[in-house]
Amino acid sequence: MSESSVAVELQGIWKRFPGVIANSNINLKVASGTVHAIVGENGAGKSTLMKILYGMQKADEGTISINGAALVFNSPSDAIAAGIGMVHQHFMLADNFTVLENIILGSEPKSGGKLDFVKARKLISEIAAENGLAVNPDVLVSELGVGDRQRIEILKVLYRGANILILDEPTAVLVPHEVEELFNTLRDLKKQGFTVIFISHKLDEVLSIADEITVIRQGTTVGTVNPHLEKVSARDLAEMMVGNELPTPASVGNTIQDQVVLTVENLSVIATGGKAIVDGVSFKIRAGEILGIAGVEGNGQAEILNALMGIESATGKVMFQDEDISKKSTRHRRDLGIGFIPEDRQRQALLLEAPLWENRMLGHQTKAPNAKGFWLNPRGAKADTKRIVAEYDVRTPSIDVNASALSGGNQQKLIVGREMSNDPKLLIAAHPTRGVDVGAQAAIWDHIRNARQAGLAVLLISADLDELIGLSDSIKVLLRGKFVADADPATVTPQELGTAMTGAGRAA
Amino acid sequence: MTYLKSRRFIASAFTAITMLSITRTITGNGDLTSTVTIAQALVFASPIALAGLAGIWAERAGVINIGLEGMMILGTFGAGWAGWQWGAWAGVLAGIIFGAIGGFLLAVAAVTFGVDQIIAGTALNLLALGTTKFLAILLFTNAPGGGQAQSPPIKGEIPVFTLDSIVVPLTALHEKEIFFVSDLAGLVAGLFYNMSLLTIITLLLFIMTSYLLWKTAFGLRLRSAGENPWAADSLGVKVVQYKYAAVVFSGMLAGLGGAYLSIASTIYRNGNTAGRGYIGLATMIFGDWRPGGTAAGAVMFGYIDTLRLIDTGNQNVKGLILLGSIILFAIGAWMLRSSRRNTAIGFLLLGAVMVGAYFSATSFPPEVAQVAPYITTLLVLATASQNLRPPAADGVPYRKGEDH
Repeated sequence: MSESSVAVELQGIWKRFPGVIANSNINLKVASGTVHAIVGENGAGKSTLMKILYGMQKADEGTISINGAALVFNSPSDAIAAGIGMVHQHFMLADNFTVLENIILGSEPKSGGKLDFVKARKLISEIAAENGLAVNPDVLVSELGVGDRQRIEILKVLYRGANILILDEPTAVLVPHEVEELFNTLRDLKKQGFTVIFISHKLDEVLSIADEITVIRQGTTVGTVNPHLEKVSARDLAEMMVGNELPTPASVGNTIQDQVVLTVENLSVIATGGKAIVDGVSFKIRAGEILGIAGVEGNGQAEILNALMGIESATGKVMFQDEDISKKSTRHRRDLGIGFIPEDRQRQALLLEAPLWENRMLGHQTKAPNAKGFWLNPRGAKADTKRIVAEYDVRTPSIDVNASALSGGNQQKLIVGREMSNDPKLLIAAHPTRGVDVGAQAAIWDHIRNARQAGLAVLLISADLDELIGLSDSIKVLLRGKFVADADPATVTPQELGTAMTGAGRAA
Repeated sequence: MTYLKSRRFIASAFTAITMLSITRTITGNGDLTSTVTIAQALVFASPIALAGLAGIWAERAGVINIGLEGMMILGTFGAGWAGWQWGAWAGVLAGIIFGAIGGFLLAVAAVTFGVDQIIAGTALNLLALGTTKFLAILLFTNAPGGGQAQSPPIKGEIPVFTLDSIVVPLTALHEKEIFFVSDLAGLVAGLFYNMSLLTIITLLLFIMTSYLLWKTAFGLRLRSAGENPWAADSLGVKVVQYKYAAVVFSGMLAGLGGAYLSIASTIYRNGNTAGRGYIGLATMIFGDWRPGGTAAGAVMFGYIDTLRLIDTGNQNVKGLILLGSIILFAIGAWMLRSSRRNTAIGFLLLGAVMVGAYFSATSFPPEVAQVAPYITTLLVLATASQNLRPPAADGVPYRKGEDH
């Protein structure tokens, strides 16, 4: 670090919100031309810090220096002008705009008052080719998956000529081979002299990509390590982060009972164009069994979940215990004891502008403790929300704040807590620990395992293959709407599973 | 792209004329496609179109504009007041300025203070209604030719053009009652008969809007404020300024629409807008928040309004019923092909009911025609809502720096 120049230096940064101190005395030095990781638990203040560095929020105290010059950022424009670009955790893309429109927005090439689409297209394809980021500039963003969206976000930043890139939890939504692609891109960028600030709580990833790692705990920097110079393990980092030992999702024993909870026969979901997104899948889940579905996002997972919940219309037969629920309403299915953790928590699982205790009622509004007969029971819901907040370690100033005030990981904890309430018989879970830090991840795994012991059947979809392998009793691989392989979680490795998911080979 | 668009335009125009022609032939009612009807339809359509265009501007920037009605009312008043004293063009200018004031008020409430946009817009409507009524009593009661509820006549007028060399032969052709040809002739002649300069300005404003909002950086940024203001902000777009600009310009357009109404009736009169602001909003939704579709919606409303008002033998409304059933049959048949069975059958049944009504009744009350545009909009919403693409962050209050 001594010989290279400092690209970013933060000194004594403080940021207070009503009821929370997000950052207290943050000090950070990032050498130029390196990948510098910032790790910490959910709500440790990583995202706030990066918003300050990107000019989206102003620090209450402290100084920011870029390449040695002290600067004050009043808006992202100032940060962009200083050569900083940010890839946000929740993508900042307009769904109804094309890729091209999203990239050029704010720095549009013009020829005489008119937008110069030809020049824009050329610029974008040049940058894309230089960095191996393939995109079609003319499709609507709403038609793209997460991997593509992230590439667009990176292109947006490069298009603006940034030389310092901030990536806020970029791998949270990616599958392993996409992560590998992203890391290759980042290594390329580093070679070209870009400085990358990489925020994450996935410690193995951080160790594989970062030149330096700064740990943040409860809003303050607790140390910086250099994995090239000193030997650091993920466990060491985790201890720095939480002071706990690193949990693993290992499944304990076999708890599968005889009783079949869910039987799915020949389930198909047809898209509006007539294409089968889910193409005749069949499976059974017994009480106490966790069935994992592995697959690259967009291969029909979301549609299977929605079909099982009765949100999307589908053909085929769905039996819950002895009842045919194929034609039953979502309400009916939920009342039977089916819990649901959807893929997109902000779109499907939460009312962002409602307090936590109202969110606790969602989907369970007909049952105690949320209802007394016909009437809602806010007092009961509030009390139970407090229980969830305590049991699942949801970091929040109170249960009366809006869900939007929580960080992504804490929102997820609240959802998992809610869905595990009322003793479900079947849990349909997509990415139950997405965006959740190591400590809370272990707690969620424990909750799921305990419920399984008590006879809960689980359908699990996860992009985190370690999680999928660790929790599942059996795994099916989904590709283009069909099951193409079975994998035994006792023997399969994430690499083998990843290969099977792309259709390149067969899992063990 | 443009080739496809122009082909689609020609195809839909062709379909529309054919349907009109069939209706005209069956009913034997030449009024349905006459020069006068079309010319008058454009006069009725223009204020609605301007309101719809105003809606596009505000909502593309993410501000729902229920206040269109109020802005139009302000425009009618401004035009009446200034037009009475300084002439028609001054009236137009005052209408625009008064509308802009309405737009500014909405922007302050909705953008700066983040008030619920529906409530802010409704408040603006009530405010405009009350204020203009009060000012009318104050300013017009003792003025010569004025009254408590209306202004003295507007001085002078806006130029109106008639191209006899086109209108006379085409009108003659219309009267020959040849299938399709005569109807096309009537439609074209209508465009050159009593064409007001304000209507031409309205048309130019539509073209300008298409260009500004979809072909320039300004437009991209403005629309980004309605699609994802947080993303726009993160790229340095000054979201609040764009929203203000859009809503104030929206007010100007609605004000011009109001001025058009006053000038067309040569005075300001309380209640002259008669809900045209809301109809404008409906045409905007009908047109999928785009200028072309909005203009088509406005023309549809204007056309139906015209037929209702020039209905001498109580036959036009009957004709409309038949036209409606033909359209329903066409949509129903088209839907059967695209495998939306239940909706298709619903449409066909409704069409059958209307045909039955057409042949069993001798005349219909004009109120049927009055509600027809709204029913049409409802049908469009019910059937096409999945294909509509409203701005994603329309109506969402935006606060800088806050997460979404």
